[in-house]
Amino acid sequence: MRTVADLKIKERGIISEIDISHPSSKRIIEHGFTPGQIIELVYQSLFKDPIAVSIRGTLIALRKSEAHCIKLK
Amino acid sequence: MRTDTLPGIPLITLVGPPNSGKTTLFNTLSGKNYKTANYPGSTVEYYTSRFLAKYNLTAELLDSPGIVSLLPESIDERISIESLYSHPSLGIPDLIVCTVDACQLSRHLLLPKQLIASGFNVIIVVTMDDILAKRGLKISEEKLKKALRCDVVLINGRSKQGIEKLIETISLNLSRNPDKPKNIISPYSYLHNKNELVESFNEIEQIVNTVYEQTNKKEKINLKSANDELNVLNINGNNGFSPDEVTLRIDSILLHRFWGFLIFLVVMGITFTSIFWLAQPLMNLVDELFTNLNTLVINNFEPGWFTYLVSDGVISGTGSVLVFVPQILILFIILGLLEDSGYLARGAMLIDKPLSKIGLNGRSFVPMLSGYACAIPAMIAARTIPNRRERLFTIFIIPLMSCSARLPVYALLIAYLIPQNKVWMGGIVLGGIYFFSMISSIVVAAILNKFTKKLFNAEETSSFILELPAYRIPKLSSVLTNTYNSSKQYILRAGPVILGFSLVLWFLTFFPNVNPQIDKDGLTMGQVQNMERSERLEHSYASGLGKFIEPVMTPLGMDWRIGVSLISAFAAREVFVSSLALTFKVTNENGEDQSTLLNSLRTAKIESSGEKLFTVATSVGLIVFFIFALQCLSTVAVSRKETGGWKIPVLQVLIFTSLAYFMTFVTVNGLRIMGIQ
Repeated sequence: MRTVADLKIKERGIISEIDISHPSSKRIIEHGFTPGQIIELVYQSLFKDPIAVSIRGTLIALRKSEAHCIKLK
Repeated sequence: MRTDTLPGIPLITLVGPPNSGKTTLFNTLSGKNYKTANYPGSTVEYYTSRFLAKYNLTAELLDSPGIVSLLPESIDERISIESLYSHPSLGIPDLIVCTVDACQLSRHLLLPKQLIASGFNVIIVVTMDDILAKRGLKISEEKLKKALRCDVVLINGRSKQGIEKLIETISLNLSRNPDKPKNIISPYSYLHNKNELVESFNEIEQIVNTVYEQTNKKEKINLKSANDELNVLNINGNNGFSPDEVTLRIDSILLHRFWGFLIFLVVMGITFTSIFWLAQPLMNLVDELFTNLNTLVINNFEPGWFTYLVSDGVISGTGSVLVFVPQILILFIILGLLEDSGYLARGAMLIDKPLSKIGLNGRSFVPMLSGYACAIPAMIAARTIPNRRERLFTIFIIPLMSCSARLPVYALLIAYLIPQNKVWMGGIVLGGIYFFSMISSIVVAAILNKFTKKLFNAEETSSFILELPAYRIPKLSSVLTNTYNSSKQYILRAGPVILGFSLVLWFLTFFPNVNPQIDKDGLTMGQVQNMERSERLEHSYASGLGKFIEPVMTPLGMDWRIGVSLISAFAAREVFVSSLALTFKVTNENGEDQSTLLNSLRTAKIESSGEKLFTVATSVGLIVFFIFALQCLSTVAVSRKETGGWKIPVLQVLIFTSLAYFMTFVTVNGLRIMGIQ
């Protein structure tokens, strides 16, 4: 299944679920990453990690290891 | 319940997610009578204050850490949240004012919703109303009020619009239920868990869908763009917005994969050179002031232990507290401006990857870089790292950064090592020292990273989820307030410890030979004073200590005189140079005159064996020692304050001193084996 970590730059996706076994899952949900939300990969840093995504009108930077637990439809 | 606040004075706690305008609101409302409120177990302090007199409202206002929700996971989150439910000295708040960003309701309403569910008396303050208006939208106060069943006030923190309305609402709210029982408040986490978060967000979306309205005053163009946004959002089935357009345009450069990184390096370079070079004249000024004061006392009072206690102990000790203030001020002003503008969060994102490899976080970069100027402001700057383990780890390794106080020591030893006709080599050697120091601190950090669980008792996994706020023009006044408070805290909290250490060190280097007998014939007053100091040091407790540790120094090819200088250098590393001058009886008026000192070093012999003391091997060894050793009591004092206990500073001293010793031993003996004496 594709996750946010697989998005290409400027590509959008819709969140299907958050893997709650991931240690950062609570924090990810608290930042508004919930099923049904549109998410867009906006920027990547030099090392392609962390990435900056746009969700609910806000830019949020997160590591790829964390982006892996945000699954896409 | 309440224990500390005066009876009848209500406690209002300010709560809000990061970047919701909470601190701006606190600065707007609060008077000048700041007090710090400790969060037990936490190293970070928050402020309480009464309201500004002009608001005519008697209440204690408490700022609190920015939190996203009331479900704690890390130690720090637990402390912040538990203190909210019942602050150990301030009690339970009578009212919680919760700030939310008008453009981010769909994320920010989570916290006030949880607060209300816990039973708190809540007023929601919707900030940055003006930015929403620019998008041709407004929030219906009435609808939001109805949906959440609590008071709602719209403000614009920057132009202070809506503040009167807020004060009015607070007064009304407090008078409506003056002695409302607080036993109905129960921690949110008792009733709910993280599986309900998604459900909460669904409820918030339903609320948010109803509260945004289009403004009619706006021009057609704006209306159109607002419609576009709404259209996009409707298709997607949520009520957020696309991020601020200007921000996206700026970020296309600042977060560009290559240019962004380059710009980041330039910005950090400027920051670093500023603390290095801007602060230097100010530090010299402080230094000069206290040196003059010191001389003034010595020259005008009867020589005796008391005069020296005042001059060398108290005055010099106070000087060594205040000498760091210029760097703290400059670093905090620059960092404050960068943070307030929104850039610092981006910088952290850009540099996170390499730091994550050694268990650190993008936020660790600025403190570590500042460590190359001075560990004191660097450790204080580590407060911005939200994750406890990463914050403590960053503080732990900061002393490994080669701070500017080591420069005089390096300079002396380099001047000693290189041939006099090849001065240009000095720059290369110094560059080499910095390079070696950088590589070795990375290696040491990587090794220490394996033990962080044991070192810091923190189980937290490394994570990096950071909101990149919309760019805005930083507000100088709040940056200055914050800088002032941080410096004041440094002087009040770390100051006494530094002064205490300085006094102990003074005692060790001064007693018991208080009135040394020397031959004063043909000597100027300055030379006599230097001779006396030199004699006093030679027969002091510190020198006894130096002789006591001589067996430890011998394997390094060093003797007790270097030992004494190393002990004295605990006051500050650069003291090593003047202390060497004293132990080698360089009795010029200017005791730090380098060429005379260099000459005495060239002729110095180890007393027991008659061998040359300062060989190439021992000199390089000393440089290596200074690269690793934690030779600075002020650093220890600040580390204690910032980590909230003695454990970490004591471990730092032990680990870095043994490491320094080991590395010096390897260097000196390695060079000897290679035939370099």
